[in-house]
Amino acid sequence: MKSLLKKGFNALDSLFSKVFTPAWNPMYQLGALSFFYFWIVAITGVYLFIFFETSITGAHASMEYISVEQWYLGGIMRSFHRYASAAMGVCVTLHLVREYAMDRYSGVRWFSWVSGIPLLWLLFASSIGGYWLVWDIQAQYIALLTAQWFDWLPIMVDPMASNFLNEAALSDRFFSLLVFLHIGIPLSLLLGMFIHIKRITGARTNPAKGLAAGTLLAMLVLSLWQPAMSQAPANLDMTITEVGLDWIFLNPYTLIGSWGPGQTWALLVGLSSFLTIIPWLPSKREKQTPVAVVDPENCNGCGWCLADCPYEAVTMKVHDYKKGHQQSVVDPDLCISCGICAGACPSSSPFRHVDELTTGISIPGFHIKELLSLTENKLHGLSTDKPRIMVYGCDHGSVLDDMASTNIATISMPCTALVPPAFIDYVLRKDLADGVMISGCCEGDCHYRLGNEWMNQRFSKERMPILRTRVPRDKVRLRWLGVQGTKQLGREVAEFQAHLEEEQLDFVELSNE
Amino acid sequence: MNKLVRYSAQAVFYALFFVPLAYVSHQPNYRYMEDDIAVLKVAVRHAGEIIGECKSIVGESHGMRPSSMVQAVEVCPRERSPLELELILDGETLYRAQVAPSGLHNDGISSMYQRFELPAGPHHLQIRMNDDIKVDGFNWQFEQDINLQPAQVMVASFKEGFRIQ
Repeated sequence: MKSLLKKGFNALDSLFSKVFTPAWNPMYQLGALSFFYFWIVAITGVYLFIFFETSITGAHASMEYISVEQWYLGGIMRSFHRYASAAMGVCVTLHLVREYAMDRYSGVRWFSWVSGIPLLWLLFASSIGGYWLVWDIQAQYIALLTAQWFDWLPIMVDPMASNFLNEAALSDRFFSLLVFLHIGIPLSLLLGMFIHIKRITGARTNPAKGLAAGTLLAMLVLSLWQPAMSQAPANLDMTITEVGLDWIFLNPYTLIGSWGPGQTWALLVGLSSFLTIIPWLPSKREKQTPVAVVDPENCNGCGWCLADCPYEAVTMKVHDYKKGHQQSVVDPDLCISCGICAGACPSSSPFRHVDELTTGISIPGFHIKELLSLTENKLHGLSTDKPRIMVYGCDHGSVLDDMASTNIATISMPCTALVPPAFIDYVLRKDLADGVMISGCCEGDCHYRLGNEWMNQRFSKERMPILRTRVPRDKVRLRWLGVQGTKQLGREVAEFQAHLEEEQLDFVELSNE
Repeated sequence: MNKLVRYSAQAVFYALFFVPLAYVSHQPNYRYMEDDIAVLKVAVRHAGEIIGECKSIVGESHGMRPSSMVQAVEVCPRERSPLELELILDGETLYRAQVAPSGLHNDGISSMYQRFELPAGPHHLQIRMNDDIKVDGFNWQFEQDINLQPAQVMVASFKEGFRIQ
């Protein structure tokens, strides 16, 4: 099922990248979009609270005033409040399913996965509170079913339902409690969201500006076309026969009515528990390779690996024996073994005058020395009848298996940001290959979060270690096409080879002249 | 893809996301109950009678108490009787239960709430309750002919006797 989901998401990713461009692709920013919707709900909520009356008769009337009399501002605010919370519910669900499909929930990532589960409950509770406050017939339905649901629990001394017996039993103070909950629960949700991203370096909590602007514009049009309105006022002296439901958040309520409260608790608590233990369930996913190891002798304490680690696994400490120096330290509980740190290390240069290439930080399963010897071995055997190309790819991006040929060498690794820019310089300068192609996950959707972004920055000299100016840029290509772009990468490699061949012919012609 | 085509395609995608979202945020309607059904709610919040008698403490047991308690001449039990409840509609028992007192020592109030969906129309309702285990049978009784309107909510509660609202 997971591979099927992954294929589906890959297809969606490609489609959205074409329409929105990779930088605006909403599928790569589901978490950031959830934050964005949260802030819309929070800001509009503050405005609505100014006009909201916390009383039995005032609640519905004040919401009607906001929607009808003040449609041009309050009505739009209310619609934004409603639709942003619904959109957040959809984005959060997609975010969860996508992270599962892409295998981004186990190992070091367990913390983000597990800390996300309570957020589902808090989001659910926040939305329920919002609908309740309006005190229309949907709120009445929520009140009755919530009471029925909670009264099933043996912890309730006085049945909650006795608060909603009829109109006479209802108290204004109850609305004050609801307001308190509707502020307190979303604040807890926000706190939980910050805990959720705690172990991630530079977590993306804001979507791309273009995507945010498009979202706001779409919501404005929707709010004017279909403003969020209340239903008929609640009347506890009459029972509800038919009610318009928010099917995004209130699905479990239909289960309370049809299955019963006990079964609904069992289903939701069971589902949450199952989701919580998923990272530790046996799975076919690849096992994590050993974590990064620091070699104090070759670590100069520059901190580039610390800056590049996507999971805050690297910290600095006073050097073990070099006075006045620092050295990197890897927290094995946080290291995901992507190797990005090895690619960032200035010691990972094959130009160094040492008997055996070593570096300050590396992944035991894919040491920089092994990468060098693999590169040299693969390139030495290539035929020179056509331009030779070294293709570095990642295990989660475009598949390189069928790409190798007599002129093309391929090496796949956990993340291509493991390749130090000095390697590319070395391969071209030593004439081991005529061109270097770096491929990997889709742009904006690196399996290890930041690999392709860091590589882009290293190549454009915005991030250390940079690709030196002397490296001819027309002999190096970065292509982030993902697994779904495997065929395209094959075509682009062929096109790259043809381009290099043309250049070689031009060069020969010029030399002859 | 040129900018105009791309922005137009984006507009379509935004519509494909938000229009269904707006629709399912309040539609389709959910039928909760049939139109010809009424609801009877029974809610009782009542403390049963104390079980047992107060005991006078004299003689030896009195002498063993600290001086601050020598004024006390009797000790009273705290445990309360559970409520025995029975609801009969049109001659058929609809609900029968024993409602235990709350509290670790069973010394609190007994609370119960039940909701019944009934066909609208005339019914004969009987509610009986015992709040004292020393008494045989039911020491609180209520009987009334009721006529439930479709979608009406009728509440039977207890405060020094049953009453219908």
